[in-house]
Amino acid sequence: MANIAVLETPKPAGAPPRLSSFGAWCDRNFKWLLVAPAVLLILALSIYPLLFSLVVSFINYDFQIPGHAFVGLKNFEMVIFDPVARRALLLTAILSGLSVGIEFLLGLAVALVMMKSFRGRGLIMSILIVPLFISPVIVGQAFSLLLQRPFGPTNYLLSQLLGTDVTISWLTESPWVYLSIILADVWQWTPFMFVILLAGLTSIPPNLYEAAELDGVGAWQVFWSITLPLLGPMILLALTFRLLDAIRLFDTIFIMTGGGPGTQTYTASYYLYTVGFTQFHLSQATAGSWLFLIITAAVVALLVRRLLRVEKA
Amino acid sequence: MATTRPARRGRRLRIPLARIVLLGFFLVFVLIPLYWMLNTSLKPSNDYLAIPPVWWPDEPTLVHYEAALFAYRGLEGLINSIIVSSAATVLSALFGSLMAYSLARYNTGGQHLSFWVLSQRFLPPIAIVLPVFLIYRNIGIYDTHIGLILAYTVFTLPVSVWMMYAYFRQMPRSLEEAALVDGCTRWRAFWTVAVPLAAPGIVAAAVFAFIACWTEFFFALLLTSRNAFTLPTVFRAFIGFQGAQYGEAAALAIVSLGPSIVLGVLAQRHLVRGLTLGAVRG
Repeated sequence: MANIAVLETPKPAGAPPRLSSFGAWCDRNFKWLLVAPAVLLILALSIYPLLFSLVVSFINYDFQIPGHAFVGLKNFEMVIFDPVARRALLLTAILSGLSVGIEFLLGLAVALVMMKSFRGRGLIMSILIVPLFISPVIVGQAFSLLLQRPFGPTNYLLSQLLGTDVTISWLTESPWVYLSIILADVWQWTPFMFVILLAGLTSIPPNLYEAAELDGVGAWQVFWSITLPLLGPMILLALTFRLLDAIRLFDTIFIMTGGGPGTQTYTASYYLYTVGFTQFHLSQATAGSWLFLIITAAVVALLVRRLLRVEKA
Repeated sequence: MATTRPARRGRRLRIPLARIVLLGFFLVFVLIPLYWMLNTSLKPSNDYLAIPPVWWPDEPTLVHYEAALFAYRGLEGLINSIIVSSAATVLSALFGSLMAYSLARYNTGGQHLSFWVLSQRFLPPIAIVLPVFLIYRNIGIYDTHIGLILAYTVFTLPVSVWMMYAYFRQMPRSLEEAALVDGCTRWRAFWTVAVPLAAPGIVAAAVFAFIACWTEFFFALLLTSRNAFTLPTVFRAFIGFQGAQYGEAAALAIVSLGPSIVLGVLAQRHLVRGLTLGAVRG
């Protein structure tokens, strides 16, 4: 008690702020005022649109037809029973799984190589991260220029290498078109894996490796029983973040294949885009995007909960 | 896992050959598309279909740059991109730092509020853009700068908030507490004490917000048309290469690469933090 009295005495000398009643109110609710602009913006341009789209997905929203009739679940049915939609969802899962898998393995390999310092490491590092700062549209454009027949040099180089005439239409012929899409994705996002995994690798205490070396543990064993377990949380984080972006795949498809040949390279996002913006079935597209949102949320819940559990442990 | 084997063995035997091969392969892989784009942008049209391909033009030309910037309205796209990205970056850094500070110092809204913001980062853009497109048309800000700026501010807020949240949390509170004891209002303690100290973190978050806006395509494609279109959307003109506009496409790509690559490489110290929303210090 006596202590508190002592602490309080200097207060008048410290000139407490003299505030109007409005100022005092602001100071009291300071923490809420600070979050207000960001929260209001997110409410206005994310939450409100989401709710609005839920309404749109139950009516028949058409620019041509006045009045929006309530149609119940019809819009959802149209998407669920559309074979193109189901194929697009499957393709999204397969393409993002393959791309992320390759990016992980390649990124881990490069991270292991870049772990030790050597001359020129800084410069190489700067070059390797460049793809992260390029618009996916430009990445798609760059790979179109490389693969495009007859302009791109790919077929010529392959012909020289293999000794036979290679005439593959990389952007219009399946299965090559899938390879092209994965290639562009791997080019752009392997550095993402590499950068995060490298951060994880460098945070493993070096004395563990020294101890293992003293005990004469083999390199392979060190990798399995020290590197991989300690890198685990970081691997999970990198895979989660990357996968959640990979399932949005749209930009490179838009530029490289336009969904073609036919509808063979429609991803979920591309399918919804064509339904909404080239066929103008807006209600169907919002219904579909709600379904896609729910699927994404399930993936997020699954992966992010794992992630949090690991971080707490 | 097989890919990791040569690297480890190389390390152990102190023969860096495997390391050099892997790294060399990957460097070439990264550089090829960039090189071919630069080559294409400088190549006279006559060289396009030459066999073997022209690996470097004898007489480099800038005609494609001229055509891309003027005939294909690349310059307008560039100006729009600068306006929209800069404005959205400023708003995102401003509102983001306010919120991040409140979350870090006052634990506002507990975990719920911070994770609610984070969850915005994982929403599929198509689910947001479709209704935003309809709303923008109704209130008349479709295809305007302000419309895209607001959309980009919201789009970059989760990353800005979380990057700066991590930064504020690791800053000592003592200076702000001293300011409060000296009779500062909370606002002055924030604005004159915390913000200057957090400046590096705020700048890093702003850089990543700018790069995200500069490279964004989906929102711009659906929320703009002939007026407020940004640089990435200009590439629509080259889809399928009608009329073989290879040089123009490459030239425009080279033009738009510059700002984001320069900023990104300068801010690479903060890259891990930016990619993981502050979850990993790097």
